[in-house]
Amino acid sequence: MSLTLILFFGFVAILLLALGWAVWEPRERRKLEADPRSLEEHGQRHATYLPQIRQALAPADYDFLSKRGVPRELQRRVRRERLGVARAYLAALRGDFQSLLRMASVIAVLSPKVAAVHEFERLRLTAKFTWRYQMIRWKLLTGLAPMTQLAGLSDLVSGLSVRMETAMNELGERAAAAADLASSINRRGLDVG
Amino acid sequence: MRIEIAQFQQILWAVNSVVGLFLLVLLAVRKNYRAFPAFSFYVLVNLTLGALALLMYRRWGFSSPSSRQIGWGMQGAVICTRALAVAEVCRHLLARYRGIWAMAWRILLACAALVLVYSIVAARHLWELALLAGDRGMELSIAAVVVGVLLFARYYDVQASAADRSLAVGFCLYSCFCVLNNTILEHYLHRYGALWNLLGMLAFLASLLLWTWALRKPQTEIVPEETLLSPVIYQTVAPQVNLRLRSLNDQLSKIWKPEVTRQ
Repeated sequence: MSLTLILFFGFVAILLLALGWAVWEPRERRKLEADPRSLEEHGQRHATYLPQIRQALAPADYDFLSKRGVPRELQRRVRRERLGVARAYLAALRGDFQSLLRMASVIAVLSPKVAAVHEFERLRLTAKFTWRYQMIRWKLLTGLAPMTQLAGLSDLVSGLSVRMETAMNELGERAAAAADLASSINRRGLDVG
Repeated sequence: MRIEIAQFQQILWAVNSVVGLFLLVLLAVRKNYRAFPAFSFYVLVNLTLGALALLMYRRWGFSSPSSRQIGWGMQGAVICTRALAVAEVCRHLLARYRGIWAMAWRILLACAALVLVYSIVAARHLWELALLAGDRGMELSIAAVVVGVLLFARYYDVQASAADRSLAVGFCLYSCFCVLNNTILEHYLHRYGALWNLLGMLAFLASLLLWTWALRKPQTEIVPEETLLSPVIYQTVAPQVNLRLRSLNDQLSKIWKPEVTRQ
């Protein structure tokens, strides 16, 4: 098979895969949520369960079980189930992260002017996050990830949510003030006319 | 075998013409030419040039130099009108969102140019195949632009009408097929010639059917522009989001490489 054939068939295969991904819409995929309140709920919903998750994963429980002479099979099961909970928690954190990203997308979509630099930066960071998230997920699956560090991740997500909310409130106030100013200028203009 | 292919080709040509005509009538009856003027023009040009090609081949035959030159000229015209129709679909999909559209069309145009360069570089450099390579490059660029605009729509989660989507998918699939078909033709020129035309017509028929289905209902002529936010909101929020995402990524990397944190 010649190189030309490979180059063109390969390119078309990539295009078709991308087309399939772009057109395919998973059932659970939700539409844009333009309401910041819903994002606030998403952003803080899962982060609030962090203490329970940490407690569930604390080594003290495993020590207690082994001291009590609980069968190894049961201990393994407990560990397996708790790791499952940690994975679910990580997935939920990703959901929170995606909600915040969606909000950023809404703002970009509804803006009269967007900066390509910011958009590319966000795309790059999202790709990076996705890659790392998958790696951590694999670490959790194999039992290699230190659970305590999930706390930092959770704090960042909830912090981002709070900051976004504050920013949106500020901007809402500014927009209202600007609208008041514009209408008063218009009124004055009419009065003069 | 060759005679069978030739007969089948003639039947398929007639079927394509009928379906094309039906699509044109549908565009007129449903008044969809208002929403898709470039697409309507493309279908019209395609039908007209198809009829002219038939007359030309009857007069001069398939292999005469005049037929070949005029045939490629017609092909060029059809591709140009298709490119316009694709641009129209892209505009339909994204132009409501002024900021995104301003960025997207530049990126898509650059992407098309890059793909064109890629297809020129990747082609076999033979003068007798230059037209075929050019045709393929254009088709590949069109396919890349369609995929690009659909990726934009997906990334920003924008609502796209079923008609726009179907038109885009029809264009992309047909262009992809043309690229593959031309690439095979380039390698097996003499053995594949008759089949090349036949498969091309089949692919076009599939696209015609998809477009007919997509435009079976009237489409809205003017899509209202979304109510836009003040530019200051984007300017303030976008850098903040990126900053937080960056720190979140840093944190993730610490989880991924805990030994770095300990140092």
